[in-house]
Amino acid sequence: MRVNAGNLKKGDFVFHQGEIWQVQKADFYSPGKGSALMKTRIKNVISGKNVEYVYKSAEQVEVLDVLSIEMQYLYKDNENLYFMDERTYEQYSLPVNVVGEVANFFKEGEKMYVYIYNDKPLTVRPPLSVKLKVIETEDAVKGDTVSGAKKPAKVETGAVVMVPLFVKVGDVISINPETSEYTGRV
Amino acid sequence: MQIQTNIENLENYKIYLTVQKAVEEFLEKKGYLKIDLPVLSPALIPESYLEVFETEFRYFDKKEKLYLTPSPELFLKRLLAYGVGDCYYLGKSFRNSDPPAKLHSFEFNMLEIYKMGVDYLQLADEVLEMMEYVNKKIQSASWRTKVKSQNYNSKLKINFSQWEKISVSKAFERYAGISEKELFDHQLFIKKAKEKGYRVDNFSYEDIWSQIYVQEIEPKLGINGYPTLIYDYPKEFAALAKLNPDGKTAQRFEFYINGVELGDCYTELTDWQEQEQRFFNEDKIRRKNGKIIHPIDKGFIEALKYGLKPCGGIAIGFDRLALIFAGVSRIDELKLINIV
Repeated sequence: MRVNAGNLKKGDFVFHQGEIWQVQKADFYSPGKGSALMKTRIKNVISGKNVEYVYKSAEQVEVLDVLSIEMQYLYKDNENLYFMDERTYEQYSLPVNVVGEVANFFKEGEKMYVYIYNDKPLTVRPPLSVKLKVIETEDAVKGDTVSGAKKPAKVETGAVVMVPLFVKVGDVISINPETSEYTGRV
Repeated sequence: MQIQTNIENLENYKIYLTVQKAVEEFLEKKGYLKIDLPVLSPALIPESYLEVFETEFRYFDKKEKLYLTPSPELFLKRLLAYGVGDCYYLGKSFRNSDPPAKLHSFEFNMLEIYKMGVDYLQLADEVLEMMEYVNKKIQSASWRTKVKSQNYNSKLKINFSQWEKISVSKAFERYAGISEKELFDHQLFIKKAKEKGYRVDNFSYEDIWSQIYVQEIEPKLGINGYPTLIYDYPKEFAALAKLNPDGKTAQRFEFYINGVELGDCYTELTDWQEQEQRFFNEDKIRRKNGKIIHPIDKGFIEALKYGLKPCGGIAIGFDRLALIFAGVSRIDELKLINIV
């Protein structure tokens, strides 16, 4: 499907220089000197490489029709993450560097969506939020009332996030996996 | 589109108001007259890369096209020609086809300032003084202690005591490795852009230039602790600015803080014949690109014929200026109501 680059949005998959890339960021920008532009950051789905790329907003870009299929996240090794389509029991693997840092928040057995194009997996659609148990964090110091103060906490997948001081070991917290930000206590 | 209520932006909005108050105070002290203006006009200045909003006035059988002004310039220049003196407009401007984005909106606040008898670089000093004034007001504002935004102090580390100045040609050489010779020669420029990996087929010099400017130059501007003033644009980007004696560049500067363009300043073109010619060219490009066709403001040319004395003018994206002081990164974070 061809669209104007001005309509690109985060998450779209585009053909660029013969390869498939996913749009990570797309900002409209009109410099007032020449045509309006779309400033994007795109990520190669094979190498995981990120590139800043500026399209003219009126130019035509090929956006791929991609399926997103719910799968179970199985496990990861040094190179890949493994997923299973629960309807067909078919397994798919994705390179760690393509999925990126969001994978630090994936818990084995969780369900998530994997993008499929021509029967090949491209990458994971990160969940908006994940719920994980805190396994390590310091106790809050009494009397420390600075509002907005944060401390590090390790969650069950091994990732470390900054949390408010009242969070304790054993709490289940929600995290935005894309920004690694604490969003609340469950 | 929908109406979005953002009451959580109340504190940011108060900073916005403080910036507005400080700017108006400063300009009043300096003797500028505030001008209130219409936003609907039957004719406009043709600007090739801007799209406009078209509407219609109706009275029984009478119908007349009206256009929301993309800038107050057409009104202010008239008043300047007829002797209003130093003046400014702070109010809405409209640009169609600008979707709501981090630094863009189809409806935004524009601060446009004119000063008689100065050129662009002299006006720059006044703008710097204005920002320093605003900064002092913000630092001493009573609500500051209440602002929850922890970003505030860490983000605004800009020193307004001086400009970091760089010419456009120096910036292309330093940040993009494009020599002055290559910059001004269209063929050499396009060849160089191609070598650098830019797409050049079916793209104009202006388009390729903009791409390189946005990708390689802008991110380097205003990041060394001072606002950056980048000056002397190729004549292709002269718009309503007077040309330099070299014939290659225009007396135009823009200024940046943290890679964000905040303002665009010219030594105003006062030659009506040249202005008329530029209007025809811009109008032609508009037609070619399928933009909305609007009547060209002939009264503007008449005013120039009457005689516009030398002056400098600057247009500042007021919402962008305020976001710098509020320590936020998107203009919608300053607003209580957003159309998104």
